[in-house]
Amino acid sequence: MTIATAMCTSFKKELLEAKHNFLASGGNTFKLALYTSSATLGAATTAYSATNEASGTNYSAGGADLGNVNPTSSGTTGFTDFDDLTFSNATITANGALIYNDTASGDPAVCSLAFGGDKTSTSGDFTIQFPTADASNAIIRIA
Amino acid sequence: MFNVAVETTVGQVNVQTTCNRGFTSEEIATNAVAKIISISETADPVIKAQAEAFKERMYWVIVAACDQAIKSDRTTLYNLFKSNGHADMAEILRTL
Repeated sequence: MTIATAMCTSFKKELLEAKHNFLASGGNTFKLALYTSSATLGAATTAYSATNEASGTNYSAGGADLGNVNPTSSGTTGFTDFDDLTFSNATITANGALIYNDTASGDPAVCSLAFGGDKTSTSGDFTIQFPTADASNAIIRIA
Repeated sequence: MFNVAVETTVGQVNVQTTCNRGFTSEEIATNAVAKIISISETADPVIKAQAEAFKERMYWVIVAACDQAIKSDRTTLYNLFKSNGHADMAEILRTL
């Protein structure tokens, strides 16, 4: 069982089918779900699944909504970002996450994120901080 | 014959957790500043120094704003608890 940081291959195809809209206003609702180390997530992941999803106090199956940030570009790279996400007052252990489109039919996957090990919050905050939104670091980049 | 190669990349997230507490204003400010400004290692030294100074100033502005927001929210909660008959809880909040 492995979680790898990867852009899902199905997402690349679905971009060409206009299945995903990342606009802050009028865009799709994207969610982030947390997973235990028993999950297998990576480029081959195609959709959200509750199998091996993390559980705990103040965490609901399916995860939480992400705040879209309007896509932009710099040089020849287009990129988008999300607001940092916090599960407050939560007791959770997670090894990775999946970002998926909750608006589109079938909850198609966008990308999987590996945390590099188990991360635990105990009656505290569990925050996922997204990288600086620029052409070199942004969470989703197309060059 | 033409073809266009497009590369999609996913960035690296940072996960932060706490135990039996929330984040402090300083921790939130550090995250916010990192999100707002990124300074290239190869930037011109003068521009880099200016950017570092701006980043430092932003950090303290955000710390102050967070502290103010916490105090303001506690005032709101104090009044909410008090108006609902929980004066003891309100007092605990006020003295935090």
